[in-house]
Amino acid sequence: MLPLWLLSLILPDPHLDLRQEARFRKRDLFYSGALFLLPLVCSSPRLHYVMVLAGINAILALGLSLFLGYTGQISLGHAAFFGTGAYTTAILTTRWGSPPLAAFWASAAVAAALAYLVGRSILKLKGYFLALATLGFGEIFLVVVREAHALTGGVIGIFGIPLFSVAGFSFDTYLKQYYLIWGVLVGLILFSKNLIRSKIGRAFLAVAASEDAASTVGIEVAHIKLGAFVVGAAFAGFAGSLFACIMSTANPEAFGLNLSVLVIMMVILGGIGNLYGPIAAAIFLTWLLDILGAYQEYSMPIYALILILLLITFPDGIGTRLNIRLIYLISYWGRRKRRERVDL
Amino acid sequence: MTPWAHIPQLAFSGITMGAIYALVGLGFVTIARASQIINFAQGEFVMLGGMITFFLLKGVGLPYPLAALLAVLLVVIIGFLVHIMVVYPLRKASVPILLIATLGASIFISNTTALVFGTLPKALPAFWGNQPLQIRGIFVTPQSLFVLGATFLLLISLYLLSHRTVTGKAMEASSTDPLGADLSGISRNLMAFLAFGVSAGMGAIAGIFITPIFYTSYHAGTLVGLKGFIAAVLGGWGKNSGAILGGLVLGTVESLSVAFIPSGYKDAVAFVILLLILNFRPKGILGSPFIDSRRW
Repeated sequence: MLPLWLLSLILPDPHLDLRQEARFRKRDLFYSGALFLLPLVCSSPRLHYVMVLAGINAILALGLSLFLGYTGQISLGHAAFFGTGAYTTAILTTRWGSPPLAAFWASAAVAAALAYLVGRSILKLKGYFLALATLGFGEIFLVVVREAHALTGGVIGIFGIPLFSVAGFSFDTYLKQYYLIWGVLVGLILFSKNLIRSKIGRAFLAVAASEDAASTVGIEVAHIKLGAFVVGAAFAGFAGSLFACIMSTANPEAFGLNLSVLVIMMVILGGIGNLYGPIAAAIFLTWLLDILGAYQEYSMPIYALILILLLITFPDGIGTRLNIRLIYLISYWGRRKRRERVDL
Repeated sequence: MTPWAHIPQLAFSGITMGAIYALVGLGFVTIARASQIINFAQGEFVMLGGMITFFLLKGVGLPYPLAALLAVLLVVIIGFLVHIMVVYPLRKASVPILLIATLGASIFISNTTALVFGTLPKALPAFWGNQPLQIRGIFVTPQSLFVLGATFLLLISLYLLSHRTVTGKAMEASSTDPLGADLSGISRNLMAFLAFGVSAGMGAIAGIFITPIFYTSYHAGTLVGLKGFIAAVLGGWGKNSGAILGGLVLGTVESLSVAFIPSGYKDAVAFVILLLILNFRPKGILGSPFIDSRRW
């Protein structure tokens, strides 16, 4: 648990004043700088590869964080939007020969449109029922992808998706892909930060706190939930598109319930209502899975055991609980200093 | 031959499968009636029931009834363990956390089963008689009749347990009125604990009865569990009779769908039904005592 504790030291505290998230602070600069330098300092291809996967998971977790973390709704079908993004890119680039950049935007648009259609009917549910309905949607997505051979290639999937390239510059090494993905992620973080600070973002929080109270003050609860769902799906679409370009294949195995559980786990561990926490948790869990991969058939039981242990130990997220303790300590310290000053 | 010719046969096998969904749904309802928790590891109890019986029968060489009884006991103990180790420490946590924790337990159980018993699918021998009987052109295996009979018996015993014993009433009270239950000296944690045991036992019995008809393997539990949950929601969440009705309807519709759509889409049918029922009548066919309560 020591690395977790160290992790918690650098995580921001979600209970701090919301206004503080407004500026691009020194800490943001520190994070971006560290992420920029990391692959240059440590040049092992495995690190680059795992960090590329971690970046894709982080985009997924960031999107779900807006829906689960800020708006307080559960979705067990997030992997389906990821899959939608991947298949849209796969079909557009291999069948219609469209450039990856265009497919990238189209993927997010298709995922968002699908989320809009699905969300309109299922978002009136709450709690376990919403979880079950989104899970059902995810399973239907998988069955359709497996069976619609003509469109998706069935169980085998689609091969030979071209690498991501912009205006002739191809992202052909893990290092370049690392910068691509984490660059996209920084852009999405800035977008999310602005969204959270806006009227809409405050409405997200109000809906999470109490739907009745939110509707009393004139918030269209249904629209806000749908909005958070659609934005989360669009993020998943971006992630899926990048995933398809990097793996150069899309097949249904990658988009099942396990991925949805993993992404929810990232958001919960990162702390509900916190943007950086899910990203840190995404890096942590992706590394964990990569390390466990060496134990082959023992990896899944160990992984599940660690998940349960983490949930029992940190039910409000690693960031939240440890940070609160830390903030208490610091503020106690600060108060004492201030009081001394006043006394003098 | 037109698809219509197969319908009686498909309907019968659908009812058999539906009885299993009903038993699994009853397991969900039992836990929900005692604690308002949904245990996504429910399907794993079904899988474990079949798997452990197979191991005791073929690996250890116990006689069939003893193996089945021992398997049910073991699965009940595993159900208790799931409550003690996963649900009890998180009893104050929010819905998404409990959800992911029970899903984590489900992943753990199924993958550990793969480690212990191997990944090959297993089938138990039929209880009595392999020859299918032919009744008016429908082939009926004796095992299907056993399944239906067991469902009926379990439904009656569950009814007696929940309506005719103090423990059963206390279980129900701790869910419908937590404060009142506390005031009358009912330990809600104990009731949730007992409910996990009962529902694990029912899952195991369902698993033992179904494994001679359908193969079981380590990852079979998840889908059966989800469909059992769908059955409970379809019939009316929180009602024993709802779970039974929902299970039979779901099993029949799913089985009949094979006659009209490509069989690969069969697994999607249950989820489409789920989305339809949640959209148009979230209370389920028979109505639900729990909808509009605090937690939903």
